[in-house]
Amino acid sequence: MNGYKETAEFVLGLAKEKGAQKAFCYVLEGEKREFNVDGNEFSLFRTLFTRSVSITVFVEQRKGSVSINKFDKEEIAAAVENCIESAKSAMPDEAWEIAPFIGKKEFNGGVLTPDTDKLFFRAKELLENIKEKHPAVITEQMIVDYKSQKGVYMSTEGNEYYINNGSYSASLMYSAHEGEKSTSFYSSDVTVDNLDKPFIECAMIEKELSDIEKQIHTKPTEGKFEGRVIFAPNCVANTVFGNVCSNFAGDSAMLEGTSVWKDKLGETIADKRITVSFKPRDSRIINGQRFTGEGYLAEDYDLIKDGVLQSFMISQYVANKTGNKRAPNTSWDMVIEGGTTPLAEMIKNVKKGVLIGRFSGGSPGANGEFSGVAKNGFMIENGEIVSALSETMISGNLADMLFNLVDISKETLEDGGMVMPYMSFDGITISGK
Amino acid sequence: MNSSILNSKDINFASECHTELRKQFSRSRGVTLVNGNLTGNARSDGSGVSARVYKNGTYGFSSMAEVSDDAVRAVLKAATENAEFMSKHINKGKPNLPSVECGKYISTTPINETEQRVYIDFAREIDNYISKKYKDLKSRTVAIREDSSEKILRVSNGFDAHTKFIRSYVYVFLNSETPDGKPVELFKAFGGFGGFNSNFNNPADLYPEIDALYEKVMQKREGVYAEAGEKTVVLGGIMTGMLAHEAVGHTVEADLVLGGSVAGHNLGKQVASELVSLTDFANHAFGKDAPLPVYVDDEGVQAVDAKIIENGILVGYMNNRETAQHFGMTPCGNARAFSYSDEPLIRMRNTAVLPGKDKLADLIASVEDGYYLIDSGNGQADTTGEFMFGVSMGYEIKNGKLGRALLDTTISGVAFDMLKTVDMVSDEVVWSSSGYCGKKQPMPVGMGGPAVRCKVMIGGR
Repeated sequence: MNGYKETAEFVLGLAKEKGAQKAFCYVLEGEKREFNVDGNEFSLFRTLFTRSVSITVFVEQRKGSVSINKFDKEEIAAAVENCIESAKSAMPDEAWEIAPFIGKKEFNGGVLTPDTDKLFFRAKELLENIKEKHPAVITEQMIVDYKSQKGVYMSTEGNEYYINNGSYSASLMYSAHEGEKSTSFYSSDVTVDNLDKPFIECAMIEKELSDIEKQIHTKPTEGKFEGRVIFAPNCVANTVFGNVCSNFAGDSAMLEGTSVWKDKLGETIADKRITVSFKPRDSRIINGQRFTGEGYLAEDYDLIKDGVLQSFMISQYVANKTGNKRAPNTSWDMVIEGGTTPLAEMIKNVKKGVLIGRFSGGSPGANGEFSGVAKNGFMIENGEIVSALSETMISGNLADMLFNLVDISKETLEDGGMVMPYMSFDGITISGK
Repeated sequence: MNSSILNSKDINFASECHTELRKQFSRSRGVTLVNGNLTGNARSDGSGVSARVYKNGTYGFSSMAEVSDDAVRAVLKAATENAEFMSKHINKGKPNLPSVECGKYISTTPINETEQRVYIDFAREIDNYISKKYKDLKSRTVAIREDSSEKILRVSNGFDAHTKFIRSYVYVFLNSETPDGKPVELFKAFGGFGGFNSNFNNPADLYPEIDALYEKVMQKREGVYAEAGEKTVVLGGIMTGMLAHEAVGHTVEADLVLGGSVAGHNLGKQVASELVSLTDFANHAFGKDAPLPVYVDDEGVQAVDAKIIENGILVGYMNNRETAQHFGMTPCGNARAFSYSDEPLIRMRNTAVLPGKDKLADLIASVEDGYYLIDSGNGQADTTGEFMFGVSMGYEIKNGKLGRALLDTTISGVAFDMLKTVDMVSDEVVWSSSGYCGKKQPMPVGMGGPAVRCKVMIGGR
């Protein structure tokens, strides 16, 4: 079929004809140009051209979803029929709801015409910079790419959202080596909408490469003590608030009723200096979410403001199921603004504790209890980094930990997908052999 | 899927470059019931063609979401141009890949379509059984997944193949809480290789094991925390399999060896007790079909077993054709791609520690003060071999007898150190195959092993 709109209209028309009261669909085409490095050497250049038609229908409040990657009329018609049959097989659920009429919107952003030669130049430069400035580092894998997507979201409620965006990104996985000694692996990522700067100067890539070179000679922690942990920005985003959000505020936790925050909306659930927002429209976020899967326009919001729980991270479906309000966006474009204390001063203020770059552990329990290995970290004693860490575990409870905030760093990681500072917390169990 | 591409006379590969051309159709089917709410009801189909060309030490790759002669020509042209781009800018001056055995393989595995209603009805019946019988649970989830792929591969040198893969599972998650309100969760996956209709006949067939799972949840509710520190433990087969995959398997993937993994300087050395041998099985293991068999990989290499550890000595890596040339090894068929738009990467297939001669009961009886660790919900490992696994089900062992159940805990260590402490190995292998391995692309893999007695750090509270 020709054209995204024509395809989407065909899908919705056929869905209604076959018995759907409501439906929505995405018709998208994408392109990717990707350079790969493996084991310090370029290994691959790949170009991908993708397509997708994702269809969701509601037949008497029964929901079904089908996706295919073909634009042929016959295949799309078969997919719609398949979707209708799936929906008819489901149980009715009054909680299903999609966005009412909003109208026609266009969302263009980022890089629409890629400069492949410049992208390759930046990729080559990044690898050369790492080899020259950080000779102990082996780049296990580097992926530098350009991604774009173009298409439309349409619903039976009359909403038409046209999408056209693109961006560049670099992802690195690396470790540092000296003879037979090596560090744990670490990864750095950044997404950008221009190639003006060398990648090594973006996000915290240069600092993270420097840090890993200091982690070759490690010392295991002796004994067990309660101390302070400074979490690096990636760790704040993934280990701390990633898990906090999933376990205490997300769809599954709220629907299953396991969230310890389920009755705490409007209450203080963290230190008053903690504000956690999801800001897909922030200028520091590249091509952030513009509308949700249910068709609502994405708006920035605070999950926690000054320590008080402001919202849950839930869909309209779970909101209807639990009697709460849906989240204004469903992205993970997390923003925690920097504080006033430089990282160096945060380290100086630690009597005994650790700074960790990565946490290797399972998902915390529903109540927030976590336990795992501290990776890419340093032992701090009397305000000084005394050694890199090995065989060190940390454990604690995420819900309790949020009340034990010590400080938020002035420095922030801005990688195109989030804004994140270092954060330190007291009262965490640190144990070794 | 039409296999005419295998015999097409119109496709000519350049003689100086290794070339792969692949047509692939993948699909997934899923339903999820959370406390009786059908939160997931989705079907997905995807197909397309891709080509990869090796020239002077780098690859060019291209794919399109279209299956046609024009698309085949377009991806071949684009992959060749990409290879030439890399050759121009990064000329490693490497020769073409060495030849491998050539032939043709055609799978007879059936891939049949199942109506969505069948999955939903099956899941609802199980959900009804659990909700009626076990009213004291805090929550329950029943999910069904079936995924399959069919590939037609044509290579300039090696095995041309028409491969088929299908697996299906029913996942049951049961949640309760301890008397003081701490959450307790256990899950079990039923199923394996094969379509849903061939793996599952009647929901009631699963009830005895669901009852057993519920009993374990109840035992865990009354469970205790493990005492932290280095302990003598018996790792059950599921845990040994996870160790084989996460903590050893990834470090011996040759691309990660080149990236600096711990296996790089341990080839030919003692890395485990001489009781330990480890193999990545291709399609058969211990006289039976392997859980997720692979017959020809996506580089056209006929799949054979890759021996990794023999009697405690690290004897090999898992390779693709390029790394095999680099290390002077033979490729065993470990290069696998997930979707039509993915390039083949070095992946595990069915990785297992080989069984020994001891009986599990004797392993448990031999431990004075330790733990029997049975199930793991998750695990992570480093290229250094340092690992951390969550333990979701286990028991105390006191004076050779099983004691109280354990609450969630973790074990950690360094694989090549920990494996040297193995001093008993049971004679029975337990496999798992319901998850995906993540490494740029997802990939279905099998992992397994016998119970082993060893020393390991346990996290405690």
